[in-house]
Amino acid sequence: MTKKQWKKLGEQAVPYLLILPVVVYYAAFWLRPVLISVIGSFTDAAGHLTLQNFAMVIHDEAFIPALRNTAVIVLFSVTLEFFVALFLALLINRKFVGASFFLFLAMIPMALPSAAAGAMWITGLTAHGWINSLLHYLGFLAKGKSIYWLAGSETSLLALLIVVDAWQVIPSVMIILLAGLQNIPEEMQEAGYVFGGNYLTVLRKITLPLLKPTIQTAVILRLISAIQIWLIVVILLGFSRLPVLVERIVYYHKEVRGLDISYQMAMGYTIIVAVIVSLVSLAYLQVSGAFKKERGEVA
Amino acid sequence: MTKKTRRNIYRTARLTAFYIFVSGVTIAMLLPLYFIVSLSFLSTREAYRYPLPLLPALNVEYKLTHGERGYLLSVYDPIDKEYQTVLDTGDLEKMSVYMKSQLGAPMSVPEIEQQIARLEHEAPVFFTRRKSLLYNYETFFKVAGTGQAVPALIRSLEICAMTIAISLTIGGMAGYAFARYTFRGRDALKFSVLFVRMFPGVAIAMPMVIILVNMGFYDAPIGLSLVYSVGSIALTIWITASIFMGIPVSLEEAAQVFGATKIQAFLRVTLPLSLPGLAACAMYAFLGAWNETVAAIILTQFNPTFSVVVYQTVLGAVGQVNLAAAGGMVMALPAVIFTFFIRRYIHQMWGGVTV
Repeated sequence: MTKKQWKKLGEQAVPYLLILPVVVYYAAFWLRPVLISVIGSFTDAAGHLTLQNFAMVIHDEAFIPALRNTAVIVLFSVTLEFFVALFLALLINRKFVGASFFLFLAMIPMALPSAAAGAMWITGLTAHGWINSLLHYLGFLAKGKSIYWLAGSETSLLALLIVVDAWQVIPSVMIILLAGLQNIPEEMQEAGYVFGGNYLTVLRKITLPLLKPTIQTAVILRLISAIQIWLIVVILLGFSRLPVLVERIVYYHKEVRGLDISYQMAMGYTIIVAVIVSLVSLAYLQVSGAFKKERGEVA
Repeated sequence: MTKKTRRNIYRTARLTAFYIFVSGVTIAMLLPLYFIVSLSFLSTREAYRYPLPLLPALNVEYKLTHGERGYLLSVYDPIDKEYQTVLDTGDLEKMSVYMKSQLGAPMSVPEIEQQIARLEHEAPVFFTRRKSLLYNYETFFKVAGTGQAVPALIRSLEICAMTIAISLTIGGMAGYAFARYTFRGRDALKFSVLFVRMFPGVAIAMPMVIILVNMGFYDAPIGLSLVYSVGSIALTIWITASIFMGIPVSLEEAAQVFGATKIQAFLRVTLPLSLPGLAACAMYAFLGAWNETVAAIILTQFNPTFSVVVYQTVLGAVGQVNLAAAGGMVMALPAVIFTFFIRRYIHQMWGGVTV
């Protein structure tokens, strides 16, 4: 080959060289751990193929409750968060003095690290915490009385967790939806009114369909993080009181470590969480059109 | 009334209602935050009161008289609006310790003796001391995680720094490739990166136990930053790709016309222009590594990160609400500050294609 051909080949190789480190890194620290856990979960101690590990997880008495609690939290919190956020976004969708400051404030709950959010809610929800104090000052609680927030039934605890989660998440979902609303050209909605639509028909026939991609994004991102809820549950209620999937991983890996089965149990739960989240992620990539060949450039 | 004024009144009413609504939403968002801030400044005595004070006291008003066992110390309670006896002792050392640890308004023994000297002429004696508002924070760093808080903070910062370094170099290179070159498998790669980003971190952390133990990185900062980089590299690729796409190639080409090599052109032209975006990537990587708890719990044993120390303090802190609040505040502050700086990028990302 001539010198010129070599040079051309070298130039063609540049992009591949630039992405090589990522590929190597992901092979070593993403693909390898994933393969290890998949293979590990299908083999027993002697290295034979087995489904024993999953049978063990399914027979864990906390498995069904964990799955159910996670499902309930995900279903109700995402639904509640979405509708409240949409309502707020529709009402706030206009330019106003202090809008950018308001948007920043709305980001703080989401920015709060989960350990800090845990500190905030546990100090509030104890019998002598700030929530009861506030209710007292507002006149809802008589002197010396307190509400035992964390002593209720399973249903009321789930409701509490959903509300706590909603506080943290609604503002950011609202921002996402606001951004989506502001990308809709005003003429479209105006056209709807010109043709005699009232607010609700315009909302239903024009605004919401145009908002669909944003809604999908917001909801699926929320699903992914809601499935992985655990820290607030543990801080408020401790381990095993209201089991959820990721809480089980930490429980088996840290709280009852040293048992023969601890690692396998933790691994089994890990795989289950990974599979569920991956399915949701794939669904997201599907609806966002990532699998369509002729997609345009994404920002 | 003319039609015009009526319309004006209508408009003003609507605007007022709107602002009342926005303020209501803002209050709902900020109320819990207000309480954690306020709690973190309460003295232990205040934190054990029920109902909790809405505002931390800035000063402590003391009252001193003769008591049965020596001296009777009372403090003014702003809620009950009266002086309440807290201590009856002749041991001034004990009184000094009590003032510091329970009331947060320390006085040395000689200072107390000074006040006692005044008792000769008048009884009771009143005096006021400024409360040391940062007392809970100092205590948190002294006692949390049995003295692990400061080393854990340093460790967390190391982890963040390494995560930033790894994800900016590796992710930035790939981002540049995605922005400037078309090559086979480009789109597929870009979306597999997105998939990796969505994959739960906890699912990597568990099997990483084995890998890191083999590498000797288990329970070490570098091990955690390797795990955190998986997510932040993906994010860095997406952000840097869009940044580099926004910087015209023609600028680099112009530099090359004037005799710069390709690498010089990148370093002198493109890199400086992309610095704000790269800073945002760094902050994102920081936030990811700083906030993360579950992988940190799984992958550390004797060397916890700061978030794990806060988590443990909060978990065992039913009686020490003010300490838990102080720990939560230390955890939250960097996160909120960095979020402020990168809010524009977050908006863009949430409004644009997403992460």
